[in-house]
Amino acid sequence: QCPHKWRRIFCTLCNSKRHSRDRCPSIWRSYYLLQGNRRRALAIHKIYCYNCGEKGHFGDDCYHDRSSRVPNEDGSAFSGENLPKQVK
Amino acid sequence: TLNTDYPWILNHDHSKQREIADWLTLEIKDFVAYISPSQEEITVRNATIGKIRRAVKELWPDADLHVFGSFATDLYLPGSDIDCVVNSSAGDKENRNCLYSLASFLKRRKLATQVEVIAKARVPIIKFVEPESQIHIDVSFERTNGVEAAKIIRGWLTQTPGLRELVLIVKQFLSARRLNNVHTGGLGGFSVICLVYAFLELHPRTLSADISTTENLGILLMDLFELYGKNFGYDHVAIAVQSDGASYLPKQKNSNLQNPRTSFSLAIQDPGDANNNISRGSFNIRDIKKAFAGAFDLLTNRCFELDAATFKDRVGKSILGNVIKYRGKER
Repeated sequence: QCPHKWRRIFCTLCNSKRHSRDRCPSIWRSYYLLQGNRRRALAIHKIYCYNCGEKGHFGDDCYHDRSSRVPNEDGSAFSGENLPKQVK
Repeated sequence: TLNTDYPWILNHDHSKQREIADWLTLEIKDFVAYISPSQEEITVRNATIGKIRRAVKELWPDADLHVFGSFATDLYLPGSDIDCVVNSSAGDKENRNCLYSLASFLKRRKLATQVEVIAKARVPIIKFVEPESQIHIDVSFERTNGVEAAKIIRGWLTQTPGLRELVLIVKQFLSARRLNNVHTGGLGGFSVICLVYAFLELHPRTLSADISTTENLGILLMDLFELYGKNFGYDHVAIAVQSDGASYLPKQKNSNLQNPRTSFSLAIQDPGDANNNISRGSFNIRDIKKAFAGAFDLLTNRCFELDAATFKDRVGKSILGNVIKYRGKER
């Protein structure tokens, strides 16, 4: 029924199956980091969730149903994944 | 090549940047520098306010004129009007007679043309144009909350690098889409500042303190449009701002912040009154959210397009151009 051939979408940059390489978020989602190995403290008491408003986790990691009807397939900046490795 | 649509990119080409996010950061800085008032414009504005102020004091020796709003926080776009308030020790200047006597006094002194007295509104004001500078001025009476808010905002601006730049971009973006007028359900200037301030305060990279915000304005602008355009739970989450920080709170815990007609509304808790929602006038939040999402899609698509293009094709291009649509006078 579908006139289009089934095509596998695969990103060679980040191994995601949700987008192709030319539309990989890593193309634009890059931060220019401060130099130095100074150990950075994480302000844990200021982590809030954009989805439920509660404290202690980011919106991408919320266990409640999603409040916004717009999908978030590739993940956003507001995720535990977006913390530097030393503090994860 | 002459480019009148994106005048801020003239002689500021960043097409050789390796990271597209860095290119966007530099373009944001160029745009902010382009729309920021020149020393001459600042002098004219200050002189104009000085004249009005002296006239008010002459008419009412117990009164004084203060500026608030975007003029007092240095967050205004070219051609925006100046908000002032007349406060007096007697506290009696808000009655209709006083409004009309100030209006005719300013007219007689040739300090005001196109005068409108709006006496019946919740906040009575006089609107006029100062003839020499052609600046639009709004005067309200006997209130201090605007002056207080300006003080809080100036504190945020000194503690939060990048706040000024992002606020100016978002304001320009909303004004190009006519979503910046509270009377038509748009976002007012104070609400925009609160949204950007809460975003910067609660961003994971700010919390971990491993980036400089002013070196990451590009990616932060995209993160901001993504948060408020795609992900933010307007039905369930309210934003709380204090003079020293921002947080979220579940709306169900503070029903005063909830709009009685719809759960889908923006709620920003007033730092001065926990039961007051600063943004309750912004009833068109659906279009505002859509506009933010559209800006995010425009920016990401533009990044993919320019990332795939050859350096030759990138020369003289703008990333921000279609997002902020500057249609003002050339500066």
